[in-house]
Amino acid sequence: MKRLLPSLRARKRYLAFELISEEPASRNDIVREVISSASSLIGDVTTSDCDIKVLGFEGGIGILQCSHTRVKETRASLAALTRINGKRATLHVLGASGTVKGATEKFLQDYRPFEPEIQE
Amino acid sequence: MGKPKFYDFCVHAAPDGDHTAPELVSLARHFGYDGIALANHSDKLPDKKPVLPSIEGFEVFRGIELVEENPSKLHSLIGKFRNSMDVLIVHGGSEAVNRAALENPRVDILNHPAFDRSSGLNQVLAKAAAENGVAIGITLRPILHSRGSRRVRLLSDLKANLELTRKYEVSLVLCSDAMSCFDLRSPMETLALAEVCGLEEDEALDAISIVPERIITKNRPGPGYVRDGIEVLEGDDLF
Repeated sequence: MKRLLPSLRARKRYLAFELISEEPASRNDIVREVISSASSLIGDVTTSDCDIKVLGFEGGIGILQCSHTRVKETRASLAALTRINGKRATLHVLGASGTVKGATEKFLQDYRPFEPEIQE
Repeated sequence: MGKPKFYDFCVHAAPDGDHTAPELVSLARHFGYDGIALANHSDKLPDKKPVLPSIEGFEVFRGIELVEENPSKLHSLIGKFRNSMDVLIVHGGSEAVNRAALENPRVDILNHPAFDRSSGLNQVLAKAAAENGVAIGITLRPILHSRGSRRVRLLSDLKANLELTRKYEVSLVLCSDAMSCFDLRSPMETLALAEVCGLEEDEALDAISIVPERIITKNRPGPGYVRDGIEVLEGDDLF
């Protein structure tokens, strides 16, 4: 099938995120939990508008795609995620960008995993 | 206007919550907060006074969430803790407690006002809250952790309270009410969630940065402060 013209393609935002959780999770777990928390918080109709897709997830960080008009709803449904596979977890959005390249360069390239600094 | 400062005024550290104060503080800092208040429930206070972790560029405030069913005992608890705390929160949940908290100008925030079939506020209480400068706390943890009918209840209570607070110009405070690190949310996520739940953009921003700042300046007066309306000014050419 012929590809849509660039001007007709839906515009996207790419959110770089990190996972903070009790146990490591796989991409499939994240996809499942994100969609279920979104449809529970904002409903199936708005979730379909958001067009959420997890493009990649590896080593605690990843990128997901959403519609450029629905960034707020997407962020809210990521915030509403509390558990992955029954283990407590939270997704922290590092930033949003208009391209995958931008999101990777700006937020993921010099990403350092969060380590609590405990001073005694 | 520069970048607003973000505060989370209701975080429960161990032994009330699951994680220790330094862990919560470093995660909140990582998330982009400028300060948090450690506000444990008054029935689960640690035996000795906790040492607040100090990190440069990040403020940790002393707070407490009072849990008391009896209004007159609540007033005496408020008197007991007021001077040593930066943030004084009352855990509502019955008509008597809500009323006692909102009619006491020494209280900063009322959390969880909802009970039985009521959202916890009415026009009388909202007016009292506006007169006494008590803010209504919007807590995220119950909204995040419930689903289905319970969440629907919480959100409709929140919307009912919003109607009243808008009409009577009561201030709002957004806080996580976190019991563990996994309940903390970054400021941007908190704002997005608040907006999805029915707050306007500027209301949400006020509730997470300006109202908390106002509470702190009220409770930590400047060096020349004597009492309400009286302040010693320094300088030569005042007149």
